[in-house]
Amino acid sequence: MPFDAEKEITRLWRNLHSAQEEICRTFYRWREVAKDIAGDGADETEIALKAAEFIGKEIGKGLLPRLNWLKGEEAFLMNLARAFANIWANEGAICQVEKGEKDGEVYIKCTRDTWPSIAKEYDVPMEEVAKTRERIFQAALEDVSVFFNIPLAIEMLKAIPRGEGMYLFRLYKKEEG
Amino acid sequence: MAKLLYEWDYSGFPGAKKYPNLFKPIQIGNLIIPNRIKYAATEDNFNDPDGFITDADVAYMRARAEGVVGGMCFMQGVYMDPEGIGQGYVGQAAAWDDKFIPGLKRIADAIHSERAIAGFQLMDCGRVGAVNLPEGRGPSAVPQRLRVFKPIREMSKEEIKQMIQQHVDAARRGVEAGFDVIEISGIVGYLISNFLSSYTNRRTDEYGGDIRGRCQVMVEIIQRVKEEVGPDIPVGIRLCAEELLDDVRGNTPEESMITYKMAEEAGVDYISATAGWQESIVPVISRDVPQGSWLYLAKRAKEHVNVPITMAYRIFLPHFPEKAISKGELDMWEMCRSMIADPLMPKKVLEGREDEVRHCVACNLCLARLFRDAPMTCYINPLCAHEHDERFYPKPVKEDEKKKVMIIGGGPAGLECAYVAAQRGHEVHVYEKREEIGGTILEASKAPYGDEELMTCINYQRTMCKKYGVEFHLGVEVTEELIQDEFPDTVVIATGPKYSELKAKVAEGAKVVNILDVMRGEAEVGENVVVWGNRKPGIGCALMLARSGKKVTLVGKDKTAGFDVNPSFKWRYMIYLRQNGVKVYNDCDIEEVNPGEIIVRTYDGYRFPVKCDTVIVSEREPNEALKQAALSEGIEVFVIGDALMPRNMSSAVHDGYRIGLRI
Repeated sequence: MPFDAEKEITRLWRNLHSAQEEICRTFYRWREVAKDIAGDGADETEIALKAAEFIGKEIGKGLLPRLNWLKGEEAFLMNLARAFANIWANEGAICQVEKGEKDGEVYIKCTRDTWPSIAKEYDVPMEEVAKTRERIFQAALEDVSVFFNIPLAIEMLKAIPRGEGMYLFRLYKKEEG
Repeated sequence: MAKLLYEWDYSGFPGAKKYPNLFKPIQIGNLIIPNRIKYAATEDNFNDPDGFITDADVAYMRARAEGVVGGMCFMQGVYMDPEGIGQGYVGQAAAWDDKFIPGLKRIADAIHSERAIAGFQLMDCGRVGAVNLPEGRGPSAVPQRLRVFKPIREMSKEEIKQMIQQHVDAARRGVEAGFDVIEISGIVGYLISNFLSSYTNRRTDEYGGDIRGRCQVMVEIIQRVKEEVGPDIPVGIRLCAEELLDDVRGNTPEESMITYKMAEEAGVDYISATAGWQESIVPVISRDVPQGSWLYLAKRAKEHVNVPITMAYRIFLPHFPEKAISKGELDMWEMCRSMIADPLMPKKVLEGREDEVRHCVACNLCLARLFRDAPMTCYINPLCAHEHDERFYPKPVKEDEKKKVMIIGGGPAGLECAYVAAQRGHEVHVYEKREEIGGTILEASKAPYGDEELMTCINYQRTMCKKYGVEFHLGVEVTEELIQDEFPDTVVIATGPKYSELKAKVAEGAKVVNILDVMRGEAEVGENVVVWGNRKPGIGCALMLARSGKKVTLVGKDKTAGFDVNPSFKWRYMIYLRQNGVKVYNDCDIEEVNPGEIIVRTYDGYRFPVKCDTVIVSEREPNEALKQAALSEGIEVFVIGDALMPRNMSSAVHDGYRIGLRI
C-alpha cells in the first residue's frame, strides 16, 4: 500500500487532539462524580483543588528521577519549568519557558489552554480553573523542594480564565532563613 | 594476644604461589584470618517470611564457606526490630528476639564446618526497608526517588535510641549463635547510610547537622556493639567511600572519608569500602563498568585510616586484589556476585583451577529478583538457590543406564548439557556445524559495554567438557542421515534459533542481512540501518553499529525494548541507546522494505517511513528442524535453549543443566 504521509499525519493529529481533550474532560467528569457523592453541602471548588493537589503530587514524584542538581541552579530551574510546560503541553496547551531577570527565577507562559473551554461545559467557575492549575504546580513542587533540599515556590501572575489573555507563572527559589 | 580459630596451610597449593598476597594471614581486631578472602553478606530471600532461617539458606552458606578456604564468610544482614520496619527483603533473616538464635546457630555451624570464619551482619534497611509495611523510616522525611520503595517518615529521638539498642541486642544474639565477627551495614541507602548522608539527613539535633553530627548514630552503634561483644569479637562496618549522589547533593568524597575516620575512632576493626547507593544514577556494578574500576576508593580509604580495608564491587579476577594488596592499597578481597556464580571460586583459584571458575557476568539478575520479592537466582549458575536440593546435583548413572548422547549445537545450552551429562557418566558427543564452539555467544560477545565477558561462560563450559571427556565434532552439520548412522540413545537439539523471515513486502534491490553476519563483520551495512527485533541481540547490534557511526533505528514487536534483559541492567541499555542516538520503535513491525526506506507499522495501524539502506534481521523463532527425524527413529529427544524458545543466555544454560541431569 503506498505511503500517504498527509493521511497518516492527519489521523495522528486528530487522535492526539481528542486525547488531549479527553484528559481535561476526564478531570471534570470525575469532579461531577465527586460532587454528587459528597452531597449538597460540599464545596465543589474544594473538591477540585483536592484533586489538583493529588495530581500535582503525582507529577512531583514522577519528576524526582529526572531532575539533576549537578547541572547547576539555573539549569535545574529551567528543566523543572520545562517539565511543567511539557506536561501542560501534553494536555493541549502552548507553553514557553523564559529565564527571569533575577537569578533563581524562571517564567512559564501559556497562551493556549484547553481547560477553560471544557470547564465551561460543566459550569465550573473560571476562578476555580485558574486555581486548579496553580494548585497542581504548587503540589508538584512540594516533594521536589524537600527531595533536593531547595525551597522552591511558584506563583500565578496571570491566568487565561481570569480574562488576562495568558497564563504567567513565576517559578523561583525562596530566600532562605 | 590474637586468636587463630583454624589452622590453614596454603604452601602446597599453586594458587598460593601465584597469588601470595591473597593467601597470607591478616589480623582483624584480635582475630587472625588465615587468608585475604571474604564472602560479603548477601541477601538471598531464602528465609521464612517471619525471619527464621531455612535449610536453603544453610546449604547456600555452607557452599560459600567451603569456597573461602578459611577466610571470612558472612551471612546476610539481619533485621533487628519486631515490626519489620528495618526489613528490606521478604526473605531476610531476623535477629530481633532470642528465638532466632537456634536458626542463626545453624548458619554459624555450617560455616565453621568448613573451617571458615563466621561473620554476622546487622542491617536495618532504613529508607529501602519496610518491605511489608506501608511506611518506612529515616533520619528525615526525604521523599523516595524510586517508587519501588516506601514513603519515609522522620524518626523520633526515642526511636533512634531504641534502634541503637536493637543493634546491640542483635549483636549479642549473633555472638551467642556462635559467630566470630560482627559487621554493621552502613551502605547503599540502608539506615546508617541514611544518617550519614547529607541527602537523607536534614536533622538539626545531635544526630544531624554537619558530617560529624550525622556520624553520631554510627559512632554510638559501633561503641555500644563493641562494648557488648567484648574484645575477642572483631567489629567491622561497611561504608560508602563515595555515595555517587552528587545529583541530589549527597556527601562529598571528603565527607565520606570523615565517616571512615569517625568509624575508626569509634573502634571498628576493619572497614569494607563500597561505592554508590541503590538510588545512584551512576552505574556501579553492572557489566558496563570495567573490572577494577573502584579500587581507587580502597586506596583512598587506606590513605585515611589505619584499620584494614576490604572491598568487593567489580573485582572478579584474582589478579586485581593480588596487585592492590601487594601495593598496600587493599587488605582483603571481598566477593558477592562472583561467589553467587561460583561458590568455590577462591578455592579453585587456590588449587590452580582458575579455568574451572564459572565467572559472574555482572547482569544483576540476582539483585533484580531480590527487589521483586523473589528468591535469588543466578543467570549462569543453575545450582544457585538449590544447594539444599539433592535433585539439582549431577548423580552418576548406573553402568547399564549409560547412554550415547548426541548434542546438536555447541552453544551455551548444548555445552552445559554436555558436561553435566558426561559428568554423570554418559558418552557425550557435541556436533557443531561451525569450526568453533560458542554458538551465538561468539557474535553476542562482540556487542559493546562489557559483553565480551559473556564468553567467560563458554570458556568455563569448554573446560568442563574437556574435564569430563565430551567428544567434539566440529565443522559437522547434523543431518537425518547422520542421526540414523550414529543412532544415539538420546538426541539433544541445541541448535540455537531460526531467524525469522520478514513478512514485509521486500522490493527488489532492498538489502536484508542476518544479525550474525553483521556481528561477525561479514555483511556490509549502509549508513542508515534498521535492526528488526528489539530484544537483547538487536540492542547489542544496534549499539555496536551506532558506536561505529551508523544511523540506527530499532524496530521491534515487543512493547518495550530489552524485554529479555533483566530490569537491573535494562535501564543501562535504555540510556546507551539514547546516548548513541538510536531511534527505537517498540510495538511495531516492518510493513515494506524499499530501496532507501522502510515503512513501519505501529500496533494500532499508523504507518510511517524510516530512512534505511540495510535491514538487519534479529527476530528469532524456535528451531526444531531435526526433532521429527530423531523421533521417527524412536530416539529420546530433548530440545533446549533458543531452539526450544528464543530467550537469553541464562535460559540456555539453565535448560542445558536441567536436561543434563535428566538424561
